[in-house]
Amino acid sequence: MDNSAIQTLEAAAQILMAPPNLVTSEQRQQAQNVFLEFRSTKNPYQLCREILEKSTTDIVLFEAAGLLKAALIREWSLLSENDISSLREYLFNYLLTRDTPPFLREKLLQTIAIIIKRGSIDDGGRERKALLSELEKIILGSPINQQKLACSLILAIMQEYAITVKSTDVGLIWEIHFRLKKSFEAVDLKRIFRFTVGVLEQIIRSGHCLEGEQMNLTKQLLTIVETVLCWSHVSPLLSKRLIGAFEAIYESDTAPALRLNLNWKDTIMQPELLALLFEIHMYVRTNPELASPSLTCLVQLASLSGVVVSANHMKQQYLENYVASFLNMMTYIQPMDREMLGLSEIYRRLVQFFTPVMIAGLPPAFLINLKNLTCHCIRGSVLEEMENSDSVWREALSKFLHTWSSIVNDMDGLPIENLSGPCIEIFNTYLQCRLAPPDGTRGTENVDEDIKHELEEDERKLHSNNLLTIGALARKAPAHCCHVLFSLLQDRSKKLESHLQLMHMGKLPVSGGEQLVNLFEDLHWILMITGHFLAIDCTEGETIMIPSEIIRYSISEHADLDASLRYLVGVSTDTDNVDPILKLLGEILRISSWECAALEAGLGTVFSPELSATLSWLLKIWTNSYLMPQSVFYNEMSPILESAFGRGSRGSSWVVSRLAARAGTCLRYLSAQPTAAFHALKLLTTLAHAHHKQNPSESCEEFLALIAWEAAGSNLPGELRKELHRAFAIAATYAQGNVRTRLLDSTEALQKKLINILNMESDTEPVRSMLADTLDCFIGVTEGVLEVGAMDEQFVMLIGALDKVPGILYRYHNYPGVVLPALNLLSKSAKRMLHSVQPQNVDKFLEVCNTTFEVYKQWNSGKISSIPQDAEDEVYEDICAIMELICSIARSGAHTNVNETCARGLRLLLPLITPPLLALPSLAQHAYRMIRDLDNCDQLTNLPIEDFNMVISALRVGLTAVSCDVSTLCCDTIVGLANRARTLGDNNPYAMSLLTLAELLLMLIIKMEIPPDSIPAAGSAIYALTCVKPALLEGLARQLIEAYAVNDPANVPRLEEAFSLLTNGVLFDGLRPHKIRFQDNFDKFLASVHGFLIVK
Amino acid sequence: MGDIEDTHFETGDSGASATFPMQCSALRKNGFVMLKGRPCKIVEMSTSKTGKHGHAKVHLVGIDIFNGKKYEDICPSTHNMDVPHVKREDYQLTDISDDGYLTLMADNGDLREDLKIPDGDLGTQLRTDFDSGKELLCTVLKSCGEECVIAVKANTALDK
Repeated sequence: MDNSAIQTLEAAAQILMAPPNLVTSEQRQQAQNVFLEFRSTKNPYQLCREILEKSTTDIVLFEAAGLLKAALIREWSLLSENDISSLREYLFNYLLTRDTPPFLREKLLQTIAIIIKRGSIDDGGRERKALLSELEKIILGSPINQQKLACSLILAIMQEYAITVKSTDVGLIWEIHFRLKKSFEAVDLKRIFRFTVGVLEQIIRSGHCLEGEQMNLTKQLLTIVETVLCWSHVSPLLSKRLIGAFEAIYESDTAPALRLNLNWKDTIMQPELLALLFEIHMYVRTNPELASPSLTCLVQLASLSGVVVSANHMKQQYLENYVASFLNMMTYIQPMDREMLGLSEIYRRLVQFFTPVMIAGLPPAFLINLKNLTCHCIRGSVLEEMENSDSVWREALSKFLHTWSSIVNDMDGLPIENLSGPCIEIFNTYLQCRLAPPDGTRGTENVDEDIKHELEEDERKLHSNNLLTIGALARKAPAHCCHVLFSLLQDRSKKLESHLQLMHMGKLPVSGGEQLVNLFEDLHWILMITGHFLAIDCTEGETIMIPSEIIRYSISEHADLDASLRYLVGVSTDTDNVDPILKLLGEILRISSWECAALEAGLGTVFSPELSATLSWLLKIWTNSYLMPQSVFYNEMSPILESAFGRGSRGSSWVVSRLAARAGTCLRYLSAQPTAAFHALKLLTTLAHAHHKQNPSESCEEFLALIAWEAAGSNLPGELRKELHRAFAIAATYAQGNVRTRLLDSTEALQKKLINILNMESDTEPVRSMLADTLDCFIGVTEGVLEVGAMDEQFVMLIGALDKVPGILYRYHNYPGVVLPALNLLSKSAKRMLHSVQPQNVDKFLEVCNTTFEVYKQWNSGKISSIPQDAEDEVYEDICAIMELICSIARSGAHTNVNETCARGLRLLLPLITPPLLALPSLAQHAYRMIRDLDNCDQLTNLPIEDFNMVISALRVGLTAVSCDVSTLCCDTIVGLANRARTLGDNNPYAMSLLTLAELLLMLIIKMEIPPDSIPAAGSAIYALTCVKPALLEGLARQLIEAYAVNDPANVPRLEEAFSLLTNGVLFDGLRPHKIRFQDNFDKFLASVHGFLIVK
Repeated sequence: MGDIEDTHFETGDSGASATFPMQCSALRKNGFVMLKGRPCKIVEMSTSKTGKHGHAKVHLVGIDIFNGKKYEDICPSTHNMDVPHVKREDYQLTDISDDGYLTLMADNGDLREDLKIPDGDLGTQLRTDFDSGKELLCTVLKSCGEECVIAVKANTALDK
């Protein structure tokens, strides 16, 4: 028909593809407009056919296919059944008879799939069934090109049915998408599976060499089987949100478990099927492209669950069949590197999806195989780590160890004799791989002056998941593992001692050297493994019990307490009759004392900060479990451990003072080594938690000495000093009497320091820097104050610093480095303490805040700075601190003056957060979260109306933000405000101001200019606003329809219908049932409106 | 830094040293440091080391507080770095000369006319506000013998 149209498009395409020097930007713009206009062509089917037949320009073909798809969705209800089916046949024949480029083929296949899916709403899948039969015929007997095309179409159809919640196919509501998926599942999925597996069987039976086209076809067939097995079979009983979550998993890398219903019983329970799929994998595994989908199929089959195996004997039977085929395969093959991940996933899934009893009943080869693969994988992963290459081995190892962790923790049915052998072997292998020769096989790391960024990932965290399991495995054979670890520690400790002594005496040069680095690395690993063997790593403040295996082992050794303690403190080296756990700790403490001695002797430059960190870490987790264990929590307790470290024992106070002294030494000498200092502080904090909680009367001179040291000017960097004061404050919370007074000295010294600084005449950089540090230390104190009872006492201690803040802000308003910690101190104190202090103290605090706001306003409102772009965040760090402060005050509860202070704060802030600042994502996030939180605390409607209007303007800016978080926060705020406005009546000025947002919100929703994830929140907001004024929605609808009547009269009836759908059966009473009904209607409304208004 | 009583501070003003030493590990982000002989504001600080058992080095990225240029340096965390004395003072703007020099009045009434209008948006804004008759307060940044106006605000203190 219209050749000129095609020519215009082709000419435009040429301009678009032309190099920039040949066309002007106006020409390019015009060409783009041609295509934009083309995309909204109505009834374009004939034109598109013409283009597909005649045009040879890629862009034009691609655009035509895209238009075809979009138009079908948009105009579906206007097309006759005949038109549609003739179009589908045309497209399929077009693809069958031509060699189309992939981009065009995929688009057209998707269009056919959409036709099939939408058609099945009316015909119940009749067309689809017929098409599938046709495709099967093609796959069985047509030229290979057509076979491949048929496979692609099957895949496209499956893709179209797979996702319902986030389906791009607009125009259908989710319920219909979901119903279609369920009917496809029930009718055709199994058919596709059986057919495809049958074809694959023929292929491998024929013994064809899988190369070229044949390989491609096999790959497609395998992909179809893989897709069926990865299908997310979601129960229709779940809510849409949960189904969305399932589908999100389906779209991610890890496929969901294979959950099948009874319908699948005849297929999936056949032993021959499992055997066949394993056979297929063995046949194709040498080809990486085919091996990947075939191995995924095996992984999926390892997770069979659902109604089909709800009966235990069925499940057992299936597992036996599966494992038999699996072990059979393993006897024939030598696993390749790239298969490790899949194999580890098979084991992980079997252990996860089948009961421990079933797994325990499997033949021994199952566990032996797992052990062999794990050991192989440990060696591979250590090599991989050295080379810093891919992380396939490490991923596989973490899966294998995950499996072991389930086995040792849950498998009570497995006799320990069967378990301890593999456990020892894995433990030994891991240890060997980590130790340098001759004990181990560790290679030398390439230390080519390569600089690593250490703070990215702490060594101890990096390996903690694997080590957690290695520790658990080691505890299954405690005698062996404890002995090995002790011997290694003893040996390395001696080596370290002699090396350091020779250095000290000047017989060895004071420098690193390979030998010393190897020793450090060995010790680092032995200590990390020992730590995970003895205890479980923990977060601060959480007490973890001593593992029961260790207690039992200690009991079974019947050691002598006296001999054990003498060994522990180092007065004897005789290991006879010494408890194995005390033996280990004794050795660890000896290594710690070598380190401390070396640091004090000026050998700090050669000692490894990493090893120091590991030692502190190990002693920290030891302290957390073993120091003063509470025997009431234990079923059985080792008498030696209890007597040595129990409450009030001499052993415990000895250990505490040793550990506090160690932390002190590390802080003094390693303050410039961030990792070492960090872990030393962690150790100290844990001591502050542990020993004072249970034994408040006990004082530890080493701990108190640290306070004196800090009070005298400790020379620590600011961040560390802050943490140190935090530890002091924690300890003070638990202490009583004299000890408490001494602990509180630290805060008093800080107070004096602050006043001294403020009284100084000279205003120089060092003074300001010291002031900032001191304020930070006060933040540390605030953070360390634990909530034990009322907090007035702590508050009184701090108020002396807090009431200096306004003065500091006044004097140092030009120095953000001082202003920020001062504001942070206020906001942190409000957050931690304000909620549980007496009203008079609250008043004092609010007074300080009010003055602070005044001072801040005086210096900052209307200020324009020249801020370099790199320092942009600095501009609003102080604003964020004030926001935090206001929120903390608002949350602290209903005190009469809180409202007033919040309002003052907001009045200060609102003019400062200008639209350019709100364009900065992180500030916007902060600001709108504050507004939402203040709304939750009922603070916004307490504002004077002119301030409230500023909030509404800020919400207006927020709604149009691109960020989903911000627009959701705004919608949530609107809901909260509307609920309150409803009680005020729609003539109230606050309500009227709020309602002005409704029109904007509705337009944003209809034009899809609000982020998709915020749509549900936007729906709630519209409902809540309409509840304030029930005529609102109707009025807006009328306005909108009138506007369309001018430009697009054809769509007016559909728009009217959509709006009546929206309010159908809904009462705007703000109660839950109607809120939910409105949400449902809202979804339908959106599906319908977006179906015809949006031209994407 | 030691205790206050024991510490002697350079004032950083006339004749005295323009910088003072500080241990590298005690520097903080948003603080100041001399990089390649220029006073800089630290915008990025990260730690690295040679080999797993090596000692920490601090990697500093700073921007020149006067011309906005970026500088980098790496230094063992135990070493000292020079930190510039930085001062920010507020002046009332009383006049702008034809050749773009500002007449500024300090708190004690002293006048100075040695600073130019700053470049960029800030300068434009300053001139517009001044021309429209606003009372302006200029914040002057001073370090290592250099000075420039870095911020300006309407002087609300005068209203009171």
